[in-house]
Amino acid sequence: MSMAALHEVVLDQVATPPALQSGGMVRLLTCGSVDDGKSTLIGRLLWDSAAVTEDQRDAILQASHSRAVNGEQIDFSLLLDGLQAEREQGITIDIAWRYFETPKRRFIIIDAPGHEQYTRNMATGASHADIAILLIDARHGVKRQTRRHAAICDLVGIKKVVLAVNKMDLIGWSEPAYRAIETEFARLAQGFGFTEITAIPVAALTGDNVARRSACMAWYDGPTLFDYLEAVEPRVEPADAPFRLPVQLVLRADGDFRGYAGTVASGTIRPGDRIVDARSGLGAVVRRIATMDGARAFATKGDAVALQLDTELDISRGAVLSEVSRRPINADVLEARLVWLAETPFDPELGYLLRTATDLTPVTSMSVQALVDFETLASTPAHACAVNDIADCRILLGRATSLDLFRDLPATGNFILVSAIDGATVAGGVITWAQSGAPAVGENVLVLDRALLARGLCADLGDSPADTAEFHRRAQEAAILLRSAGVPVLVEI
Amino acid sequence: MTVLTSHLKLLEAESIHIFREAAAQFRSPVLLYSIGKDSTVLLHLARKAFWPAKPPFPLLHVDTTWKFRDMIAFRDRTVSDLGLDLIVHTNHDGLARGINPFDHPPSVYTDVMKTQALRQALDAGGFDAAFGGARRDEEASRAKERVFSFRSAGHRWEPRRQRPELWTLLNGRLGKGESVRVFPLSNWTEADVWRYIAQEKLDVVPLYFAAERPVVERDGQLIVVDDDRMRLNPGEQPTLRKVRFRTLGCWPLTAAIQSDATDLAAVIEETLKAKVSERAGRLIDHDQAGAMEMKKREGYF
Repeated sequence: MSMAALHEVVLDQVATPPALQSGGMVRLLTCGSVDDGKSTLIGRLLWDSAAVTEDQRDAILQASHSRAVNGEQIDFSLLLDGLQAEREQGITIDIAWRYFETPKRRFIIIDAPGHEQYTRNMATGASHADIAILLIDARHGVKRQTRRHAAICDLVGIKKVVLAVNKMDLIGWSEPAYRAIETEFARLAQGFGFTEITAIPVAALTGDNVARRSACMAWYDGPTLFDYLEAVEPRVEPADAPFRLPVQLVLRADGDFRGYAGTVASGTIRPGDRIVDARSGLGAVVRRIATMDGARAFATKGDAVALQLDTELDISRGAVLSEVSRRPINADVLEARLVWLAETPFDPELGYLLRTATDLTPVTSMSVQALVDFETLASTPAHACAVNDIADCRILLGRATSLDLFRDLPATGNFILVSAIDGATVAGGVITWAQSGAPAVGENVLVLDRALLARGLCADLGDSPADTAEFHRRAQEAAILLRSAGVPVLVEI
Repeated sequence: MTVLTSHLKLLEAESIHIFREAAAQFRSPVLLYSIGKDSTVLLHLARKAFWPAKPPFPLLHVDTTWKFRDMIAFRDRTVSDLGLDLIVHTNHDGLARGINPFDHPPSVYTDVMKTQALRQALDAGGFDAAFGGARRDEEASRAKERVFSFRSAGHRWEPRRQRPELWTLLNGRLGKGESVRVFPLSNWTEADVWRYIAQEKLDVVPLYFAAERPVVERDGQLIVVDDDRMRLNPGEQPTLRKVRFRTLGCWPLTAAIQSDATDLAAVIEETLKAKVSERAGRLIDHDQAGAMEMKKREGYF
């Protein structure tokens, strides 16, 4: 096919340009195993919904023509694979973010890599999504990586899933084959918390049931992918959710202004409402919700504001302001399900920090209890976990922090684990159980503080940057040795 | 005209959250202010994030000495009106070597006067975090960026080693020698930027609006002649044409577009109907395949 002919085929299908205004925003993840056609599906969706500009069209046509990966067809995946290594290898390494709008709404598309090796990038993408499109190659059905991606979608809190059974053209548009995959997925999803699963048979390369209803699959009477996306309600917030505002920082300005700045994680707050800091138990009344655009009558989930209170609370970043009646848990022991993201496996002897909404808390000890088996999706007892594993863990903290259970309040019930040594994000997880004041934990913890170390181990060190770095290094090494001897350690320097 | 739409409110709140997270976690941040529409929105959001206090960081402008005169005037007025601290940095070594956009290919000029200059300025200031106005919709490699984009020693971006970034939990713990670029406008599009400028009634450099300007056409690109440093080819003569800019950079390397859009409403309409992408007018992006990714790996923000 010539370039000109390619142009003709494609421009025919271009929809009308978007309207001037746009309403809400839908964050959409595409995931599934490698080679199931994710980038192609999204490329096709963008192409058919006029979200591709002419210079991009030309570049894609040019590249498709020279590469001819799909025979003589257009390689839509080139729209998303933006890194040189991705284009060279024809695979997606990292998530690609794409934006488009229709007359009805604004979309953020998060295209996740399918390779097992890049699961950490997939998990990053999934955590930002309202809806997941899980792709399955109709020829191969549900694979191990499909189950892993479904489990990660569930873990990070996605409630609505589109099961896009792709490459229907390659199985002769067979309804029985499609129904078998639909049934198999429904069975495996029983253990997950998805509220809605919508299966759609598609062929991304030809565009069947993407934006255009397929003539080859008359037996399918559900929506096209595009129709579904324009109509779906992305996320429904409970009307009466408890109020939470994790404090990011305290703003001070002339005229004794003091504002507790943060983004409302849940619920609604109004001037006159009583709030409490769960960790200290200190309470106050909201005097004013301050923004540069003036005081507000209320602030609700997602609003970035600063609260002025009737009394100054001695709190800082990490505190969670909440309503008085339904407070967060002031927890120092918790259980969690997490996905391990670092190349280096979990090591009980290393130091980790628990990062919740805005707090960073030292982990005193952590143990793996079970791993998810990606063949059966059942939990099996285990004591170790490594990259791409989903694990159930128990974590003891060096001090209490305010948090919620993920199933109740996702924004204050999720966390990442941070390496105390190099700052890397090693895992992401959700809190499944938590309790305050676990007996015996506090008493047995050895606190390695500055004074203790300066007396002996670090007595030869001064204040220079090199000495400070060496001080930290020795503290971490001492902690590692003590932990390996079974002593719970907290480094506080 | 546009009204306050729900998705702009979401984007604004998300950006303010990012500014606050960075200010709370990094020792010494700086805002890369490049005077254009994205920087205008970026600065406005920074003011909102810390209001009534001033943003707790200075602005940094990397001046290649080839910025439009209108841009410099706008920069100085903005900084003085808002009472902000501005650091202006030029790579004087590059200047002394006579590096300029006429005698040197765009890749060399950009590397010396922009990328190296930026690295110099960040190192000199001891900054561990730099806010930038880059958006993921601009270009393919930018579509792969994190909000907190970690750079190894030497400010290098390693796309294969990006940190996981889950939910809204932005991890600002730096490893040895690492610094970070922070992109609060990651999820904004070009159209969002303009809609927000209209909604918030923000002032922008007049070059974004169509006017009669002296123009030379080269390889189909419209180059506006900003001063007498322009090198005309034999037979070339600047002619007055009604043009405006979608994106602003160094003047001989940033092409204008033919346009009648003289106000914000017209600019927004034109943006939504645009048939080519925004950075098509940035000559430096097309120098070689994967040009932007190469520049980012070397420390271009």
